[in-house]
Amino acid sequence: MTGSTRPAEPPQPATPSTTRQPDAPRPTTSVSPTPRQLWTRSRGIALALVILLATAVAIAAVRSGAQHGRLDPRSADPHGSRAVAELLADQGVSTRVVTTTEEARTAAGPDTTLLVTNPDLLTDGQRSRLHAATKHSGGRTVLVTPGAPSVKDLAPGVTAHDTPSADSTLSPGCFLPAARRAGTADMGGIRYDTLTPDAEACYLSDGLPSLLHLPAPRGKGDTVVLGAPDILYNDHLDKRGNASLVLQLLGTRPELAWYLPSLSDDRTADSEQRGFFDLIPSGWRWGTLQLAIAAALAALWRARRLGPLVTERLPVVIRASETVEGRARLYRRANARDRAATALRTATRTRLAPLVGVSPAQAHAPETLIPALSTRLRTPGQDPHPLLFGPPPGNDTALIALADQLDALEREVRHS
Amino acid sequence: MAVTGRTALLAALGSLPVGLWDPSWTGILAVNAPLALACACDFALAAPVRRLGLTRSGDTSVRLGETADVQLTVTNPSGRPLRADLRDAWPPSSWQPGTEVAGSRQSLAIPAGERRRLTTHLRPTRRGDHRSDRVTIRSYGPLRLFARQGSHRVPWTVRVLPPFTSRKHLPSKLARLRELDGRTSVLTRGEGTEFDSLRDYVPGDDTRSIDWRATARQSTVAIRTWRPERDRHILLVLDTGRTSAGRVGDAPRLDASMDAALLLAALASRAGDRVDLLAYDRRVRALVQGRSAGDVLPSLVNALATLEPELIETDARGLTSTALRTAPRGSLIVLLTSLDAAPIEEGLLPVLSRLTKRHKVLLASVADPKIEEMANARGMAEAIYEAAAAAQAQSERHRTAEQLTRRGVTVVDATPNNLAPALADAYLSLKAAGRL
Repeated sequence: MTGSTRPAEPPQPATPSTTRQPDAPRPTTSVSPTPRQLWTRSRGIALALVILLATAVAIAAVRSGAQHGRLDPRSADPHGSRAVAELLADQGVSTRVVTTTEEARTAAGPDTTLLVTNPDLLTDGQRSRLHAATKHSGGRTVLVTPGAPSVKDLAPGVTAHDTPSADSTLSPGCFLPAARRAGTADMGGIRYDTLTPDAEACYLSDGLPSLLHLPAPRGKGDTVVLGAPDILYNDHLDKRGNASLVLQLLGTRPELAWYLPSLSDDRTADSEQRGFFDLIPSGWRWGTLQLAIAAALAALWRARRLGPLVTERLPVVIRASETVEGRARLYRRANARDRAATALRTATRTRLAPLVGVSPAQAHAPETLIPALSTRLRTPGQDPHPLLFGPPPGNDTALIALADQLDALEREVRHS
Repeated sequence: MAVTGRTALLAALGSLPVGLWDPSWTGILAVNAPLALACACDFALAAPVRRLGLTRSGDTSVRLGETADVQLTVTNPSGRPLRADLRDAWPPSSWQPGTEVAGSRQSLAIPAGERRRLTTHLRPTRRGDHRSDRVTIRSYGPLRLFARQGSHRVPWTVRVLPPFTSRKHLPSKLARLRELDGRTSVLTRGEGTEFDSLRDYVPGDDTRSIDWRATARQSTVAIRTWRPERDRHILLVLDTGRTSAGRVGDAPRLDASMDAALLLAALASRAGDRVDLLAYDRRVRALVQGRSAGDVLPSLVNALATLEPELIETDARGLTSTALRTAPRGSLIVLLTSLDAAPIEEGLLPVLSRLTKRHKVLLASVADPKIEEMANARGMAEAIYEAAAAAQAQSERHRTAEQLTRRGVTVVDATPNNLAPALADAYLSLKAAGRL
């Protein structure tokens, strides 16, 4: 018999090639994309990336024109300063570009003019070290547009005024020979104020100068503060007395050190600012970099799955007894001892009735059940009426006792 | 494409020469450029995955709890040897919990131009159709530094059939059936009600069965033998609505009902009755009709394999009218549903008379052993409340069963393990009493 219970073959699944000729070209079962599909899929994104990159390059090229190489003696841009350097070279002044504070400090000397293009980019430490080097060097220091914080360190006694000059073309108005010879120039910009007695204040605007000449307290050195960089620009050099003024200011020494400060300027020279990574040996740093590459490879190795997850419809899990358990908890929470006792008593009576020969319909009538039951009890005088039909128990202990007594009664009847 | 652990390990070891010998970009390049080159060579020398030929063969059906072997033949047409890891992905329930990863993965090595056969052993945990997902192959190069990876879709379906655990009861029930048939060596009179044949009297036979008219025609005493009715129609109706989804133990009620239905079908087809099956909730989920005795059980098993409980209320009216359309007059209709008060009283009772008027109705329901256990709980107050709730539920069940019995329905209410034999016994006793 069991032989015929063997299941029949279910509908034959599609078997791709069992009947096909072995030499026949087989359609591929591969679901991985071919290189052609990959190219078709990704070319849109690749094109978008190329366009994005080209746009970025174009925008950068267009935008960077104005500020690129600003005040750089090597730059021929409108705001570069190559013309100044060429003119000075004709006059026998050699120009050297320095980019670090240390180089600027070593360059300072009696035969050198030190031009600082943007002193505001220097840190406090750099400014004080620079000032210490230039103070007694005997050379000239030209500060181009120092703001309020840097002028205080580099030219003590000078303060920068908050409001800039309204005019950009000013006449000298002072006895400085260079300014007198140059005449009107493109000065203006930041205005300064000083209480130093032997300072020369030139190119006044509303009474405040935009060019200050401060001789050093001792020695032959001096400091020149310029409120505007315009006279150094290539495209402003041929205007008015700009060229004359520049050549006189920068041509007094045979050497010109042109200091272009930047934010990334000689950080390692600041011994107090050396970080943790500067202190560990370089072997460790590069070794760690290589380890990071290894970690990235390990992550790729672990992240690549052998095929995607397979999904499946899961069955619902509902216990059939859930409603009964819920009802039990409801009884418990509501302390429904009357209901619970009734249920237990009814169940016991239903089970007792056939044992003592009472029909199920009469099982819940005390006048039929109790007499039939009494004859089966061994202990005479025991009255099962309060147990089977009595009032509901007053507390949980009484309820537990009731359940136990009902069990005992049933056991007694069964074994009698 | 995929890198391997070996690549990562080599890169990690490379940090030693970088750190000790040349801590600079040059050192980094000196370590990683050869590694990248080796990876590229490995990639180029690995056997291509896309051109592999994959075919399947093997089992298409298996009983729940048994193992199905599905073969996968991998052909390597390329000129390079294939060293690969392979994952034959199937739904997670195709393996015992915890063995999915080990069961689906294999490593293989196929020389150029040859083919190999792999076997995937499935041990499903759920009934129904299990369809294979994709086959993913990771083909390594000779250095095992880099791999090509790709997937193939090789469809195959394994139908997982109901376990039919109750078939162990079949021999005893068949023995009982043979007793009814009068064909047993035990000298009991066949208890059927249909005249079968005449045979010689053997001492011990019931003297009431002696056919005097036949005895008068011959020299020996002849007695009539009886046999149970044959060629009756039995319609098994499985309720696949929400009440069948509740779990008793760790299987839904529906599975216990199926088991009982299969035992009854096996028994009835041996007894010469015709068995049909209808699975219904709000529409027909499965219908097996008009199969011959030898064919009925396989068809039933197949139809039941994909049946799942639906979380909807059963439409008793629709169920009744479909059953009436399906079953010829005077059939035995076996309703495998639940005895919960509400669905029976609101759904089945109003339309039951249409069934009982034309057919004999037997209702089988799966009782929950948990409720019996709760009814006997004693000790703490919680246990007493549970016992009270369980007693309440049992008395409601009894009341429902009584209502059904009063309307002429035979009710079988048993726990999952006992339901199949209890239903078979009920069928046999109906047959013995000639009430079919």
